Amino acid sequence: MTPKNNIVIGIIVALVVVASYNVDANPLEFVEGLPNLAIVVEEMLLVEPKYIPTALWAMFETIQMAFIGTVVGTAIALPLSMFAARNLNSKYVYAPVRALLAAIRTFPSILWAILFVIMVGLGTFAGVLAIVMYTVGFVAKLQYEAIETIDSDPMDAVSSIGVSKWQLIRYVVIPESASHLLSQILYMFDYNVRQTSILGLVGAGGIGFYIINYIKFFEYGKAAIFMLVVLVTVLFIDWISVKIRDKYIIKSQHGMEVTTK
Amino acid sequence: MKQLQMTLNPSFSLISTNKIIQMNDVWTSYDSKNFALEGINLSIDRGTNYAIVGQSGSGKSTLLKLMNGMMIPSKGTIKIDYVTPDMNNKKFKKMMHTIGYIPQSLGLVKNITVIENILIGALPRLNKIQSLLKKFPESEIQEAKRIMSLVGLSGKEDRKAYMLSGGEKRRVAIARALMQKPTILLADEIVSELDHVTAREIMNLIADAQKRMNLTAIMVHHDIQLALEYANRVAVIKEGQKILEIGVEGDIIVDFQTGDLNTKEIMEMYSDDSKK
Ligand SMILES: Nc1ncnc2c1ncn2[C@@H]1O[C@H](COP(=O)(O)OP(=O)(O)OP(=O)(O)O)[C@@H](O)[C@H]1O
Ligand SMILES: [Mg+2]
Repeated sequence: MTPKNNIVIGIIVALVVVASYNVDANPLEFVEGLPNLAIVVEEMLLVEPKYIPTALWAMFETIQMAFIGTVVGTAIALPLSMFAARNLNSKYVYAPVRALLAAIRTFPSILWAILFVIMVGLGTFAGVLAIVMYTVGFVAKLQYEAIETIDSDPMDAVSSIGVSKWQLIRYVVIPESASHLLSQILYMFDYNVRQTSILGLVGAGGIGFYIINYIKFFEYGKAAIFMLVVLVTVLFIDWISVKIRDKYIIKSQHGMEVTTK
Repeated sequence: MKQLQMTLNPSFSLISTNKIIQMNDVWTSYDSKNFALEGINLSIDRGTNYAIVGQSGSGKSTLLKLMNGMMIPSKGTIKIDYVTPDMNNKKFKKMMHTIGYIPQSLGLVKNITVIENILIGALPRLNKIQSLLKKFPESEIQEAKRIMSLVGLSGKEDRKAYMLSGGEKRRVAIARALMQKPTILLADEIVSELDHVTAREIMNLIADAQKRMNLTAIMVHHDIQLALEYANRVAVIKEGQKILEIGVEGDIIVDFQTGDLNTKEIMEMYSDDSKK
């Protein structure tokens, strides 16, 4: 620890204290509130197993929403990422596309959901649209960044044959960035399942709709079942994606390591 | 076309109808400070096996990049078959289809198979739909297989490029260039890191292809002995300038800049330049 580090840490601590005061974040209230949590937990323990089928069905609906959102969002994001990559386009093409993508990303999915509820009404479709938008913004960004890190050697060598830009994309860009893509899609799906689980809060369908309603009416035992199902599902999906990543992605990246030598 | 050139400029064409590459006082730089090439003059006959040797950093790779339009000179003119090489020039872009370029780094696409890498050389001959669907005509696939057996890659069709040895990668890059049905082959130190036997095998292969296809080969070498063994002409580059150009025939070496006749012993003097 150098004195300089101590000063930096001191400043950060001071900032946290000041900010907490500003936003009224009082640790005492947290301690005082603990008994309330105990009541909630106690009520949650009175789980009502007869709601499990409903919860599972709601979770299934949520997963389907996330699945559609991820697939459609990725399908829209891929062509956009080709136009947003600096090593494939002139400034006049990539700059506006990047600006559009940045604008899409400024909205969290819950805000997109509110917007689409207003547009197409309450229900799952609004939720799917929100997930699509969110996915477009993020997958396109991750993907154009992956494209920009592609080795310039094969790009130059293949360009020097005088092939068209589409051929270059088909034979160099896509294969050389595909391993990144698979990992991004898995990550996005995983993330979208969690996001979709809360879109019900604004009436955009999915399991969150049940949770928020039970909580509103203090039926914590019922809410608990639904939350438990979300927890187990998310853990399960996480586990599956790790397996898939290990199997396909680590392998191909290892291969890329070998060739750079 | 050539006929027209001749009538327009008889004095020029008398000596140059057979010239496929001409460089006149070419200067180029990567940054504003130093020149990578300083006043290069070259003139290469069709069908020649031309070698470029020189120390590391002397500008050999830069010279090849100028010939295939990846770089443009800051001063001077270059003509490849009377066209100025420039990737953004439509006419030259067509010519690039038949200029095989093997960069020093080879430039293979790592995550596709050997045969797909080779078939990339045929892409200019495919239409949009065929190339987007990876639907290569049977004749092109047969041609790729024929070239593969020529360069000794048979049986490795479906191997991913990243799984190959250094020598195998070089063969793939050569095969991709041959797949272009090239009229010009630009090869950047493709045998420098190989053992003598493999290096000669590959050089013989190119010499063979060259005779059959009336190819003009411009090859950068590190080893001047190898260059003398295979080339009709050897240019020695030093610090961005051509300090010597020699023709080789048996034991006789002709210095084309001075017209002097030298023997191989004198060449040894220069060979120090090409070694690190
Ligand atoms: N991409 C680049 N950016 C900046 N300078 C470069 C670049 N490529 C080459 N140079 C410089 O240009 C000069 C000529 O480089 P070049 O690659 O043509 O040399 P070379 O003769 O091919 O060397 P080697 O035998 O090591 O391959 C060198 O001084 C090098 O540092
Ligand atoms: Mg070089």
